[in-house]
Amino acid sequence: MSDSDNEYIEDHSSGDDHNLNVGGSGRAQRQKGSGRNATSKPGTRARWERALRDTNNEPNVVADDSRLAENISRRAEAQKRARIRKDTKPFQRGIIRHMVLVLDVSEMMLEKDMRPNRYRVMLRYLEEYILEFFEQNPISQITVLMMYDGRCIQLSELSGNPNDHINAIQKLRDGDGKDELPKEPKGSPSLQNALEMSRAMLYHTPKHGTREVLIILGALLTNDPGDIHKTIASCVKDKLRVSIIGIFARMKICTEIVSRTNGGDESGYGVATDDVDLRDLLMASTSPPAMRATEQEDAAANLLVMGFPSRTEEEHPSLCACHGELTRGGYICPRCKTKVCSLPQTCPSCQLTLILSTHLARSYHHLFPLRNWLEVSWDRVREMRTTQCKGCLKKFPGIPTEDDGADKMDGSSESSRYECPSCHHHFCVDCDVFCHQTLYNCPGCQSGPPAQVPASNGETTGDPMALDGAS
Amino acid sequence: MDGVDATVRGSVRTSSAAPPSLLTIILDTNPLSWSHLSSSLPLSAVLKTLLIFVNAHLAINHANQVAVLASHVDNVAWLYPTPDDGDASKQSSQTNGHTEVADEHRVVSNKYRPFLTIEKNISKNLRNLLTSDIPSAEALKSPPLLAGALSIALAYANLQLLKADPMTSDSASTGTGAVGAADLDAHTSALRTARSGHQFVSRILIVSVSQADLSSQYIGLMNSVFAAQRLNIPLDVLRIGERTAFLQQASDATSGVYLTYDPPNSTANGTNGAATASFSSATAGLLQTLMQGYFSDVAARKLLVMPGSAEVDFRAACFCHGKIVDLGGVCSVCLSIFCLPLEFTSCPTCQSPLRVPKSVTTKPVAFARRKKKKRKIGDGGRDSAAGTPVPN
Repeated sequence: MSDSDNEYIEDHSSGDDHNLNVGGSGRAQRQKGSGRNATSKPGTRARWERALRDTNNEPNVVADDSRLAENISRRAEAQKRARIRKDTKPFQRGIIRHMVLVLDVSEMMLEKDMRPNRYRVMLRYLEEYILEFFEQNPISQITVLMMYDGRCIQLSELSGNPNDHINAIQKLRDGDGKDELPKEPKGSPSLQNALEMSRAMLYHTPKHGTREVLIILGALLTNDPGDIHKTIASCVKDKLRVSIIGIFARMKICTEIVSRTNGGDESGYGVATDDVDLRDLLMASTSPPAMRATEQEDAAANLLVMGFPSRTEEEHPSLCACHGELTRGGYICPRCKTKVCSLPQTCPSCQLTLILSTHLARSYHHLFPLRNWLEVSWDRVREMRTTQCKGCLKKFPGIPTEDDGADKMDGSSESSRYECPSCHHHFCVDCDVFCHQTLYNCPGCQSGPPAQVPASNGETTGDPMALDGAS
Repeated sequence: MDGVDATVRGSVRTSSAAPPSLLTIILDTNPLSWSHLSSSLPLSAVLKTLLIFVNAHLAINHANQVAVLASHVDNVAWLYPTPDDGDASKQSSQTNGHTEVADEHRVVSNKYRPFLTIEKNISKNLRNLLTSDIPSAEALKSPPLLAGALSIALAYANLQLLKADPMTSDSASTGTGAVGAADLDAHTSALRTARSGHQFVSRILIVSVSQADLSSQYIGLMNSVFAAQRLNIPLDVLRIGERTAFLQQASDATSGVYLTYDPPNSTANGTNGAATASFSSATAGLLQTLMQGYFSDVAARKLLVMPGSAEVDFRAACFCHGKIVDLGGVCSVCLSIFCLPLEFTSCPTCQSPLRVPKSVTTKPVAFARRKKKKRKIGDGGRDSAAGTPVPN
């Protein structure tokens, strides 16, 4: 079963980071050259073993010195492109997500193999993660739990407001300034308790949303009060999808949990070998998961009634219904005319879901992804005779007089042009990366008719009039 | 905590000077809409005003840049900078252009060179665009290709951003050597400061006149808006004519300025003299709007109170009729918006059967109004018959 979100192993072998954050660069750098090996079958070996193999097997290319600059720029292009999402099949995705985030706050998290320690590193990335999660999934909800001293404790309620969770995490780290001290990791974690608690948290969530559990587990043990296999079975029954991010080593029980709750797919279990890796694994889970065929049947599409309130400005401050604070302006529920001060939320008076239509629109690029652009050969360039990027007007390198047989690097185009398969316009690598990672639009398709092959086909001299028609 | 970070130094160093700024103007050139406006606000007058605005932008900082795009009926065309076609034509046009510019230059030698180049390019390209081919009647009524124009403008702005700050972008995408998490954070924050307007700032001004609604380009438009948000590029909208919901949402989401400009007495059908009088006042008003509303760049906007109202129309267009709704049904699979009551049983976008919750189909049952207990006439009668008690 091909399942786009769960291909993180492949993602990493190609240094993929389809989140926009540039921070993922470290990954791409360290796995330099592995983009070339992306086609090699991802084996069942552990990630660190594969990374080792990749570096060992890196072919020793004897470069022609005259082409050095060219080769370097090719390689740079290939690396840039490697981060573009490979999979552009429009899967049905779980856009409305219900996510339980389980943190390991056991004493294993005090290990100093990440600086200053695993626990601090995890907390630092979590804030970023939560913001990114809500950026990507504005109508989803999260709750944060922690595994602390054998127990599982809830830190924040299931809610769609990122600040609730970030405050909870900050409180965990810094204390609340009064009587509550910052929590230091203690004891051992219990996966069973965490799963049972997650199951309880997600029990009442509606069928049309996903039920996901993301566990960040630093420990290599789980200290369970009962039979965890029974818990796993009940999680499968409740259609939870558990993914686990381990730190530094794999555990058999985690593999089992992930594979059983994900329909046999083990790729939801990632092991971070360092802090950059941890961040990448976290960020990879921000894009909504593809639905499986079986789930699709159960989760019949629901019609959700939502209100799209407009923002108003008032001369005199009035109380908002959500916090009871005096505000001058806010959003008026279209059904009951109650004023709330922020979106998205549920109308406190009539329980209507109030959102901005832009929140819905933010998820559209997951549903209608932009197709990958193709590398353009010199032959094709001679046919189309493009000289400039359609997007940014950057000049392309000219057509070489004879085929110089430049060694082609996988992932980059020999002519530095990339063609959109539907509108046939040519773009530069920067626009390719920008359009696939940030814009999710093809500037060519959106702006007029597809590019035509110039009338004077194949000729290298050509008259300018024919070219005018082509542009 | 970030104060001890080494990356902060860079931004401090550069913040003393005003950052160069890129102004991208997207001009809606639908001939039909402009011909409707021709009596009160002709395109030529608007163009003149825009050129003054552009010149002012160029004059305020020598490193400022300008790009102008036309969203025409069936294509998007660059007005400035002029894209070049093919090698052969490029050479010929260059030589031609060179002599031409030299000729012109002799004539208007008092004009600042960049002003002249832009003016010439824009007028030449616009003339080419408007005279090249006459679009069909139904094409004229189609909405302007705003999503495409925005996409191109953003791609261009992105390139300029990369050019202006190659170090950050390079290390972000193709650095060398191992980078630890701390360095990584440094890179991210450096890029953030770059994008938050210390290195190079950019903004996009959309001059919109067409009446046609943009709901057919909704997804493309929204994707562009979010990309602009990510790049920290405000989308300013100058709407000539009535309001459009989507453009207002776009400018609100990117914290841009949205103003509508009504040409004075747009139904000017008086004498010639009256028409010319209104013409000059119209352009003067337009110039003032442009200068006061849109002239400040992102860096300056932090210090100013920007015009525009806080009231924003956030209603959405339903996918079934294109009707603007404030209360609608949303398919849980593909998030398409439909107006209520629903006319179909399965979602037309994703074909999944829609299960309509009972709360939509059935009307809420109000509490049965408790009937007022009528007092028994007999009792009442007796009471009243008892008469008012009188103090003894």
